Amino acid sequence: MTNLKLSSKMHIMVALTAAIIAIGFAMGMIFQFVANGYFNYGQENSSYQTVVVDYAVVEFDDRDELIKLCDEEFDKAGVKYYSSNYGSIDMGGELTFTFANSVDGAKIQSASDAIHERLNASATASSNASYHVVNTQHGTWKTVTYGAIAVAAAIAFQFIYFAVRYRLTMAFAALLANVHNLAIFISLLAITRVPIGSSVAVFGVLTVLMTMIGCCLFFDKMRKNLKDEKFASLGVGEQVDTCVGASLVNTVTSSVAVTAIAVLLFVLLAISALSVQMIISPVVIALICAVANVYGTAFFIPPVYARFKRIGDDFKAKHTNKK
Amino acid sequence: MGKIKSAIITAILVAAIVVLGVFATVSYTTPGSNGVGKFNSFISSIKLGGELSGNAEAVLYPEGVISASEYALYTTGAEEDKLEDYAKYQKRGSVYVDENAFEDYENGEEGFKADVLKDAQVLAKRFGEKGYSGYSVSVQDDYTVKVSVPTNFPYAAYADNGSSLRSSYTSEIERTIGYMFFDGELTLRNTEIGNTGADNIITPLTADVTSYFKSITNVSAGGNYAVRLNLTKAGRELFKDVTTRITSVATEEDDDKAIGFYIGDNKLIALNVDGTIDSGSFYIGIENGDAALARDYAIVLNSVANGDVLSLGYGTDDFTVVYKTSALGAIAPVYLGIALLFIIIAAIIYSVVRYKKLGLVNALMILIYSLAIIIALMLIEIQLTIAGAVTAVLGLALLCASNFALFENVRGETKKGKTMQSAVKSGYKNMLLGILEMHIILVIVALMLALICVGELASCGLIFFIATLASYVLYWFTRFMWYVLSSPVKDKFKFCGFTREEYEND
Repeated sequence: MTNLKLSSKMHIMVALTAAIIAIGFAMGMIFQFVANGYFNYGQENSSYQTVVVDYAVVEFDDRDELIKLCDEEFDKAGVKYYSSNYGSIDMGGELTFTFANSVDGAKIQSASDAIHERLNASATASSNASYHVVNTQHGTWKTVTYGAIAVAAAIAFQFIYFAVRYRLTMAFAALLANVHNLAIFISLLAITRVPIGSSVAVFGVLTVLMTMIGCCLFFDKMRKNLKDEKFASLGVGEQVDTCVGASLVNTVTSSVAVTAIAVLLFVLLAISALSVQMIISPVVIALICAVANVYGTAFFIPPVYARFKRIGDDFKAKHTNKK
Repeated sequence: MGKIKSAIITAILVAAIVVLGVFATVSYTTPGSNGVGKFNSFISSIKLGGELSGNAEAVLYPEGVISASEYALYTTGAEEDKLEDYAKYQKRGSVYVDENAFEDYENGEEGFKADVLKDAQVLAKRFGEKGYSGYSVSVQDDYTVKVSVPTNFPYAAYADNGSSLRSSYTSEIERTIGYMFFDGELTLRNTEIGNTGADNIITPLTADVTSYFKSITNVSAGGNYAVRLNLTKAGRELFKDVTTRITSVATEEDDDKAIGFYIGDNKLIALNVDGTIDSGSFYIGIENGDAALARDYAIVLNSVANGDVLSLGYGTDDFTVVYKTSALGAIAPVYLGIALLFIIIAAIIYSVVRYKKLGLVNALMILIYSLAIIIALMLIEIQLTIAGAVTAVLGLALLCASNFALFENVRGETKKGKTMQSAVKSGYKNMLLGILEMHIILVIVALMLALICVGELASCGLIFFIATLASYVLYWFTRFMWYVLSSPVKDKFKFCGFTREEYEND
């Protein structure tokens, strides 16, 4: 990492960040107008379609057979659901197949009618299949609003703490790191079009928390080393590169842990859900959170901090000379 | 510290971890023990979020709207007079709507649909106050309202359909959905100065009910639960006047001295008046209730007192709640557990491979951390979601990063030629401020998240708060274990793979 001489790569990093944010913003705005959503809202926040099958146990005691029957009709109609679940009701059960809003409603309706017909071929005829269009009201505004307030307060607190206990240039760099990583996280969400669920606010906050851990470790190394005369006599670039190399493993530990759990969950829950689409939301968002943190904390902030430090040192030198 | 002392302390610690680990992970049957058939493990008593334990779903039909299955049930093979009753129902997608239901609307059907949509928005706000880790309120087929809330079943209740533990959760969910769908305006009633059946003591007054209440919240202290009503100036005067009148009129023992708080025709709570109330706020205790019930009362009362009234009537006495399996698969919680176990094992293996005996110390800390999180989740009843699990893993990363940073620092000190004891001492001294300040920042930030945020975010804030505290305590516990393990070692310059560099003058 020291060999990379990150401290001299500020322009490349700024250009890369600007490109990611600009592409994210452009994608978001295009989809805002074309598909009515800056982000790709998940089931909790957007509309979807369902086929609900209520069945009596006396008619269908084997649920798997019933699912097979439904799958046949969906295949015939040429529609594919992205999730299904089951719940028990009096004397029977209820299967729900959920379809994206973009799937042709008429085809789902015809599949639902065909299922209904086949369910009622028996004598008792007490099972039903019905097609529904569901328009969800946005229910996560409160979580996001309060989350934004808490994150703003946390970032302000860290800035003040760093300004008092560390150095002002470090405080500004930490502030920028938090805002930068959050912006990268949001932009990557807009670019990747991952379905956004209620957990997105949590992962946004986790991005900030991981950034804070990374900043604490990196700037602590810097602060400690600056007390050493030999280190202090080095150029700013060399100082930053040395500290990045020394603290890198610990800085990215949190991201590695989050990535590991995300990958494991992706594999295991995809098997459990028999659908990759359902698990994409929390897992890919967790991965984006880890990527934003590693890029921001390990690659973007060191060169930017080097610039801040140079400006700070110059200012200090001029101020001292005037005196 | 001698070898024996060191071995005893290590053995006690390991035994304690093993015993706790068994209780934390193994459920076992205990026939005949005071009526308890089975003791659930700590891990299976943790409340799970909706994505892991499934959602409870209910579709509520406004008056005049019935489902296709209900229509079919009453009309298939029915007699003529019965068919006549249902002739007024017209098919609209998957529901049947009474044509008379649109009579009160200028723009007919569209007006009815607009009211359903408005009600769904009010309900979304009410359910939002519950602090669920993920919920949704939707308009289904333009005429009905669908609600989906997390069941929050612990794994023990999720896996066992017939358990009494499960039924305690299902009753609470059904009660909550019923209360949230209460329609009608807020009225206050007393038979002595009002009319409990029809009129009341608020509507005859000139001011709007929303001008009497600032907010209505729930409070709990010492196992008691209450609803707190915060009054405006006009509200304070109203209650002063009303309570004075009730006190003076109701003199006999049997006289009605209570002010009933009604939403529509549903009485929620009553204020027993013993004298004039002249203050900006007062409390009404919830008898035979719990924190969830107090919260439900406060939410629905606050909503109505602030003008968020449902326009249509919904059958709150007769609705079906379906408890769905998780969309991530019926055994999603088990897979989450396996994933977390993998992470713990991977962290332990990495520690041991990289730091040998010292890695074992870190492994012990990882196990203690995991047990601490499991016990905290169970005792504080924090909902565990996938995001919550990732937060707990982040806490584990914090603990490992702190210890690894320390180990590297000690390795550096050892290389300078110091003895092990001296290197450890210097290492901790070097890292003292950095680690302390990092934990201070994170604890305060986690506390901010837990206190300011709602729902899943607040749960994750609380998990991270506990994780950060555990991380710092265990960081110092590592120091103690280092002392215990290194005391009997004879070679003071070589320990756990740390060797000082040889100098010629040695």
